[in-house]
Amino acid sequence: MVQTKEKTNMTHAINMGAANRAPHNRKLEDEKIALTVRDLSLYYSEKQALKSINLVIPEKRVTAFIGPSGCGKSTLLRCFNRMNDLVDTARIEGQLMLGDKNIYDKDVDVASLRRRIGMVFQKPNPFPKSIYENVAYGLRLAGINKKRTLDETVEWALKGAALWDEVKDRLHDNALGMSGGQQQRLVIARSIAVKPDVLLLDEPASALDPISTLKIEELINELKHEYTIVIVTHNMQQAARVSDYTAFMYLGDLVEYGATDKIFTTPEKKQTEDYITGRYG
Amino acid sequence: MASPTNRYDTHISTQYNAELEDVRQRVLAMGGMVEHQVTQAMQALLDIDADIAREVIENDHRVNGMEVSIDEECSRILARRQPAASDLRLIVAVIKTITDLERIGDEAERIARMSLDLAELDAPRGPHFEIETLGRQVQTMLHDVLDAFARMDPEAALEAAQHDIRIDREYEGIMRQCITFMIEDPRSISRVFDIVWSLRSLERIGDHARNIAEYVIYFVHGKDVRHISLEQVAEQLGAESPASD
Amino acid sequence: MTGAQRESAFKAWYKSGDPWIWMTGGAVAISLLLVIGLLGLIAVRGLAHFWPADVVQASYEVPGKAPMNVLGELLDSELASKSRLASAGLPVEGDKEFYDRYLFKVGNRDIYGSDFRYVIDDWLVERDYPKDITVFERLEWGNLYGWIESVSENGEVVASGEQAWDALLKRQKRADQLRADIEKIEKHDIGKINYALEKLRLERRGLEMRDALNAQAEQDIATQEAALQTRYRGYEEQLIELYGQITRDSVSVRVMTGETLTVELSKVVRVFRPNAMGVFGKLGHYAAKLWEFVADEPREANTEGGIFPAIFGTVLMVLLMSVFVTPFGVVAALYLREYAKQGFMTRTIRIAVNNLAGVPSIVYGVFGLGFFVYFLGGSIDALFFPEALPTPTFGTGGILWASLTLAILTLPVVIVATEEGLARIPRSLREASLALGATKAETLWKVVLPMASPAMMTGLILAVARAAGEVAPLMLVGVVKLAPSLPLDGNMPFIHLDRKFMHLGFHIYDVGFQSPNVEAARPLVYATALLLVLVIIALNLFAVRVRNRLREKYRALEH
Repeated sequence: MVQTKEKTNMTHAINMGAANRAPHNRKLEDEKIALTVRDLSLYYSEKQALKSINLVIPEKRVTAFIGPSGCGKSTLLRCFNRMNDLVDTARIEGQLMLGDKNIYDKDVDVASLRRRIGMVFQKPNPFPKSIYENVAYGLRLAGINKKRTLDETVEWALKGAALWDEVKDRLHDNALGMSGGQQQRLVIARSIAVKPDVLLLDEPASALDPISTLKIEELINELKHEYTIVIVTHNMQQAARVSDYTAFMYLGDLVEYGATDKIFTTPEKKQTEDYITGRYG
Repeated sequence: MASPTNRYDTHISTQYNAELEDVRQRVLAMGGMVEHQVTQAMQALLDIDADIAREVIENDHRVNGMEVSIDEECSRILARRQPAASDLRLIVAVIKTITDLERIGDEAERIARMSLDLAELDAPRGPHFEIETLGRQVQTMLHDVLDAFARMDPEAALEAAQHDIRIDREYEGIMRQCITFMIEDPRSISRVFDIVWSLRSLERIGDHARNIAEYVIYFVHGKDVRHISLEQVAEQLGAESPASD
Repeated sequence: MTGAQRESAFKAWYKSGDPWIWMTGGAVAISLLLVIGLLGLIAVRGLAHFWPADVVQASYEVPGKAPMNVLGELLDSELASKSRLASAGLPVEGDKEFYDRYLFKVGNRDIYGSDFRYVIDDWLVERDYPKDITVFERLEWGNLYGWIESVSENGEVVASGEQAWDALLKRQKRADQLRADIEKIEKHDIGKINYALEKLRLERRGLEMRDALNAQAEQDIATQEAALQTRYRGYEEQLIELYGQITRDSVSVRVMTGETLTVELSKVVRVFRPNAMGVFGKLGHYAAKLWEFVADEPREANTEGGIFPAIFGTVLMVLLMSVFVTPFGVVAALYLREYAKQGFMTRTIRIAVNNLAGVPSIVYGVFGLGFFVYFLGGSIDALFFPEALPTPTFGTGGILWASLTLAILTLPVVIVATEEGLARIPRSLREASLALGATKAETLWKVVLPMASPAMMTGLILAVARAAGEVAPLMLVGVVKLAPSLPLDGNMPFIHLDRKFMHLGFHIYDVGFQSPNVEAARPLVYATALLLVLVIIALNLFAVRVRNRLREKYRALEH
């Protein structure tokens, strides 16, 4: 008995040390918050696609949304940069706070909001322009036209997306000549070129081969030092690999949200358990 | 807390179901075998029966073999299925459980070797009765723990783990007796030593069984309850249970 | 093989899918044949016209009549039935049911009254192809066939007999040069002065109408007019001198009837001796004729000379139409597809647009006449060109109204094609642009429109193909059979949208149906039709090339 207690104290000390060093055992309560979602509901015509979602997105962390198709995870992601505005029938209730500003306020300039909250889509979608012009696109929109600044930022963004070494000799070739993985990294470079605060990734690797997928994941790992990243993925292992926090959604509800380690080892809810272990609910 | 089901027939992949169920069954089989080994070893020790002792020693490699094969199966499932949540905890629990089971098998083998030694020594019997009591307690505990594992019942596991405290206490008492024996009759030292080794093995078996009980609790509740006192465990589980659905 | 067996064999064949392949392949083959046949027919009929045929001299002996010497080119032959010939008053007797009949080009319209006559093959005897027969292509009265007697200068015979041919060629060259000089002065220099004088007249009239014509202005205009008049007199003197030179030479020609005609060389476009020409000589002649056809202006009520103004008018009208229809159609399609809320309204508009494509083109002509010419043109004249009234400036048909009418006619095609193109642009690309902080307009301008450009070009190609072939509406809004000047020239502002113009399609109609000289015109109809097809093909090929380049550039659409 005495022995056991001693052991306990010792390991406790070791555990504490580990928590400070490694990115494990993170607690949402200790994080700085980048985005706050409050009672967010979204309707497509009469159908409710998001049901009063509440969650916070921690700053400079990777937050993953998982869930079966049609659960609303992409819809929620697209709320963050108001992409749902493009859908005529969509109606949104609730608040989505970036810092202390509700992005759904009337006086918000959507274009500049989208420059602050970048987005990368499922299928690589470079413009049919040169690699350089793709990356410079957002900059030009922002009114930056000075060649030196453009050159520097393009290089910086391509380096940031771990693509520079592969393309530096063919910056003016058509971006469509690149491989799928390269295209996706180019799209990421294009997004970070405008230096956003938040990067939304909508299944960024679902159309890529495993090696390209790993490269993207590695890139996400790098990028999270600079950006707040929200990723939607169908691939649970990917969510487990790259994210710090995971939200499980089902039929428009946020079922469970917490540290990824927790979700993938000891989820609280049976629905989560069933989904991530591959059971029918 | 989502309580893991005991049934492996709800995965979308039936193959996966079969694999997990197979692992579980093999662990139970291994547990049964180890339990048998311990029983046999105790019998050999108590009856100083060299034949049974040899049989136990002989059979240990089968236990080892089972550990290796279950280990392989677990690695395979990890690699191919990337289990998560309760499935992951099952595999982790299984990997750890079979290590402890294998150790229990080793301890049984050691007891058997001691009984072989004892059979060769032509000397009077030592504190046999005490060993028998301790042995029975250890066997009961092992049985209960394996039973709890089979049913994945954390309460039963906790209860079985409580035995360990009594076993430890008993062990200390018997050890004192043995020391008295040796002081009283120095000729008996080598014989009593064999018995002390056996006692030590029994105590170790109790510890391993307690570990297994903790794995059951880990599997079911996802709580690592090693290295904390059983009262705390009971407290934590008690606080937990109303919330589980 | 029994019937049942045959039936099952047929069923098996039917099931194998072979009939389907044969049917579809056959349809393609028939279409190909039709296209090749059509092009082949107009090419052969049209291009053969320019080949210098041998001139035959023969005796035409109609039974019961005195033999007659004839000279000319044998053109088409046809089979004529006995009864038909008899009803034409010809003494056809005997048992021959059908006779070969030739169209015989005798030329010398000033003597015979007609260039052509029909001759029965059997009655044309003693055929001969004398090498020294000379063909004179004249500015008036068509070809002259005959023998050169002598060449004269100011009435004095300078060469006769054998030397006459060489002397003639030399003097012909000189006459050609003089004629070119005269034309340059008349068309270019004097044309310019006339244009400037007309402008001055209008200016004075405009000032008068605004009661702003004071002495100073009057004086200015008069001075300018006087300067122009002086220059004009200078040119006039030059012209008089040139005319004096050009009328110097003449040639005496003996024709078949034995008469001797004196022809001024200034009236002769070309002289040649087809019977003396080798193959290469004929080829050279052919090329020259072909070039004349493409590059020169028409003569003799469009039955001779070239059709350059018509080609020019067609191409310019199509280009103008493209300039009008493309932006308009693209903008309309953009609104329909990108901005308008999709619903009942847009569906209705789409149906309406599609139906517009099916409205007969003459209806557009009527609309163009009523709306553009009378209403718009009339208003423009009243507002901006009151000084020219009652002579209309824009209030009459012109190339502007013709292009606009065709632009409306082809608008549905452009709208539909552009809409298709816009619809095919992946959503993901628009979203990518929007997600980078682009507004909708920026996205449209920088991403969507460039990518939809191949589709717009497709629309334009279809529009051009349709517009270039339209004739009916043009007749109401500005096409004429003979336009005095091109709508594009060296006078400011260079492009004259109010001018009437010539058009290949209308030219075909005019030459084919309105010509006084049907036989002479028929090959030209084919040649012009061929040229029209070639012009349309050229315009289309150009557009297709542009489209393919754009497609290559924006090939993201393909995956």
